[in-house]
This record gives sequence, C-alpha cells and structure tokens, in this order.
Amino acid sequence: MKSRQSIEELIYKSCLVMDDKDFGGYLDLCDPAFHYAITTYSPEIRKEMIWLEHDREGMKTLFATLPKHNSDQSPLSRHATVYLIEEQDEGRKAKVTSALQVFKTSLDGGATELFVVGKMIDMVQMTAEGPKLLDRNIRLETRMFGIGYHIPF
Amino acid sequence: MSRNSVEWEETPNFPSTHYVDTGIYTDEKIFREEQEKVFNKVWIIACHESELTNAFDYRTFSHPGGAPLFVIRGEDMKVRSFYNICPHRGNTLLYDPVGNAKRVTCIFHAWSFNAKGDCIDISREKQGYQERYGCEKAGLREVKTEIGYGGFVWVNVDDDSCSLSEYVGDAMGLLGEHLSEPMEVFHYHKAVVNTNYKLWHDTNSEFYHDYVHYFNRITGMIQPGYFDRKYTGYPHGHASVGSMAIKYDAYEGSKQRGVGWPGLAPGGWVLIDMFPGMTYNLRTSVLRMDTAIPLGPNKLLIEFRGLGLKSDTPEQRAERIRDHNQIWGPFGRNLHEDLLAVQGQGQAMRERTGSKWVIQGREENMTIHDEGGMRHFYAEWSKLMGRKASAPYADQATAAA
Repeated sequence: MKSRQSIEELIYKSCLVMDDKDFGGYLDLCDPAFHYAITTYSPEIRKEMIWLEHDREGMKTLFATLPKHNSDQSPLSRHATVYLIEEQDEGRKAKVTSALQVFKTSLDGGATELFVVGKMIDMVQMTAEGPKLLDRNIRLETRMFGIGYHIPF
Repeated sequence: MSRNSVEWEETPNFPSTHYVDTGIYTDEKIFREEQEKVFNKVWIIACHESELTNAFDYRTFSHPGGAPLFVIRGEDMKVRSFYNICPHRGNTLLYDPVGNAKRVTCIFHAWSFNAKGDCIDISREKQGYQERYGCEKAGLREVKTEIGYGGFVWVNVDDDSCSLSEYVGDAMGLLGEHLSEPMEVFHYHKAVVNTNYKLWHDTNSEFYHDYVHYFNRITGMIQPGYFDRKYTGYPHGHASVGSMAIKYDAYEGSKQRGVGWPGLAPGGWVLIDMFPGMTYNLRTSVLRMDTAIPLGPNKLLIEFRGLGLKSDTPEQRAERIRDHNQIWGPFGRNLHEDLLAVQGQGQAMRERTGSKWVIQGREENMTIHDEGGMRHFYAEWSKLMGRKASAPYADQATAAA
C-alpha cells in the first residue's frame, strides 16, 4: 500500500529532521493547520496536563527564538515505531499511532541515556503533495526528565 | 589576571556574610546535619489542599528530613499527616503517590489504621499478643499539619515547633491579598537534578541571574522599573521581592496577558522565598510553587506546581496553562535555563573539583541585583546549623555568633 509507506516515511522523517535541528524541514512536513501538543497525565493531581501546545506559527516562532536562549545542547535521537494507521474521512486523513523513545547523548558523546518514552498520536492529512502532519500529540509516559529541554520531541 | 592555587583558595576580601565555602554544598556530613537541624525543625509544604478534595484522599510525601509521610483528609475533612511506616515491621503503608483509603492496611501482615492514625485492627491480635499489646499502643506517628497561605498543606516533624503563623510571620505580606480565592493545582511535575538544594533556592533568591534568561532580559531587565524591585528579609530566613510591570509582548510570540490574577497589576510579579526551600512565584496568570526536597548533598528533587483559581472557566484555565508553559513548564523558556545553571554549579562543585568559594557580595541597596536575599538565607542557615556558611569547619561553638 503506497499511502501506508508514505505515511510511515512522514513519521520517520519528522523524527530525523528534528534530530538534525532542521526546523524548516520539520515545518515543511506540516499542514498549514498543524497543531502540536505534548501531553501527559499526572496521577499526583489526578489531572490531564498540557506541557506544550502550539499551532504551526507558534512552532515557527519557538524555533526562531531558540538561538537566543541558553539550552542543553546534548543531542536527542527520536526513535519511532509506527504501530497503527487508521484511515479516516474516506481516506483523506489517517490517524497514526506510534511508539516513541527519545535518547539523549551527552555532549562528549560518552553516554546515551533513555530520556523519555511515550506515544505519538498523529493525524495525517493526505494532500496532492503527499501526506502532511495535521495534528501531533506527544503523549508522554515519562514525566521526570531532569532539567527538561527547549526543543519539542 | 589569573590566579595560582594559593590565590584561588584565599579567603575572599568581603565581609564573612558575603561569601560561602562550597563545602556546604558538597559535604555529606553537613547534609545529614541539615536534615536534622534545618529540615526536621521547620515547616515544609507537602502538597496543596486541592490534591485532597474528598474524605480519605491521601497523598504521599518524601519529607526532606528523611521521613516518608502520607497526608490524608479524614472523614471530618481535617487534613492530617503521618509517617508512612507501619509500626509493626516497618513496612511502607501506602505506595501510590495518591489515592483514597478509608482504611489504611499494611500489605505485609494486614494491620489497619484509620485516617486519624488510630490502629483499628491487628490481625489475630489476641492469639499473638494476648493482653500484652494491642491497637491502643500501635497508632501511627502523627506529624503536625496546618493548611494555609494559599491552601498549601504544611507539615512539621518537630512536635515542639512554633506554629505555622509564627514561622511565616510577615513574610507573606506581599502575597496575602492575592491568595484569598480558592486555588487549584493544574500543573505538577518533578525533576531530579544533580545539585545542592541551597543552590536552587539561591537561584530563586537572586535576580542577577536574569542574564541567563533571554525572556527576562527582553521583558524585564530592559524595561522601566526593573532595577527598582527590592528585597525584604523576614525572620526565619524568608525573603520577598517586590513587583514591577513586565512587558510580556516584548518577547516574540508572547503577548500581554488577559486573564491575570486577582489583585495583581497587569504584568505584575511577586516572589516570596520561604526558608529553606519553597518559593511562591506569582506572575502572568499563574502561581508557581517550587518545593525543594534534597536527596543528598548533590542530588535534589524539586516539585513544581502551577496553580490557577478554582473558579476558572475552561477558557481561563487554558490561558493559565499557556502562560505557565511558556516560561515554566518542562519545555518552558526559563525553567530549563535555571535548571541548566544549577546543574552546572553541581557539576563544578562536586567534592575534589577544587571549587572553594561562592561570592554573594553584590550590594545595590537591596534592589533587584543585590545578593542580599541569599545573604539573608545563609544568616538563618548558619544560626540553625551552628556553623558559619563562610567557615563551616571553624569552631562550631563560636561559628554562628
């Protein structure tokens, strides 16, 4: 199935470009109506939490301001495995559920640690130019990751 | 001019109140002493009352003095705290961070307790203990608990401590009017960082480090009124910082806030540091509470809470969450920078790195870049510890004089 392959490639490419800090390349994979969120559940306060949320323009601004901030420059490696692709809206959209592990490598390259695990719940818009990310929810299982990070997953 | 090894270790040419020996951040013995003389003597925030809404709701808490606690709301709706330790064989009673337990039963031998800490059942009591021992002698160890200052649940493991209101004194004056409405925690996360708890509290006690924050430089430091903010010290080591008008729309993608906070002027910002490791931080539309729980001299657990009003509409709550996330969430612009900085201190101050002094010598009439907030903290620390922060290994009998 050609569309399945192209959808999988979209998911994997979104990880690769973000690993490379190719933020323009990431935005090119996104539909103009793109929405991004990092969410999780806190058993401590028994509440759903949103930890980051932006539209496409907000993501663009976030990326543009990164160089002005002091950030942990330890590289991240996003590892996704596409589990499910469910067609929606008569094939015009697809809901994609992937497992996500993010690894962090120390600045001297001496150690790599598992940083977070979670799921990526994506809504993909099928367009004439191929599939585009319409909505991405990074659903975190890990809620403790030290000093945090400035770049979204 | 660079310095040689002798010059590097020379006592700084400041009054002894204006620098500290980095041994206080790295020494295991001093850390153990702090648990006993500081954390086990003062009031500590364990959680917020909104985390215990219903009767029998409980919340576990690792007290920085070392004792595992659980906080539970009784049938009478009173909140009490106990050691999370079964008096029988010392097992953990409650494992989950949160839950609801009408009856707290140890999994090991099924001894049970109620929300008042009374032992209510010892399995096969009479067969094993006859008349020699019974529930009346097997109650839980209760810890002093009070709710106050924004609905936070405070605990004190010292039975002979002063009251919470005596401990806080006038320190909450700047926030008092802003904490009158019922609040609710909407954000909670924890971070373990390899640093000392005092270094984290230092960061919350001085604004000179705004140089690390692009957001604060652009929205605050270059704006009128920034250098007028003043520190005020209070008894027991607490300190507050006055407000200014932050220009939030100076940051790309940001904007002036719409929801705000009751009584807080638009762009206002009030910060109160409570000794030894709690910070009320009210800005934008959110109250942030940090609670420092040291796990060792160079290992710190910090609990971060973001609070809004219980009366929030969904739209208001959504805006508070956005405001919170932009600067304070795990992906926020400022929190990551603060944690990056204190982690760097922890890295440089490990034992045997050659680190020797931390200078807190800035004097600017107690305005925003004055380091008086930190000096005020260490005066209290020295008093409780019987050690001068600047000379912790000197004769302790005279050190705190």
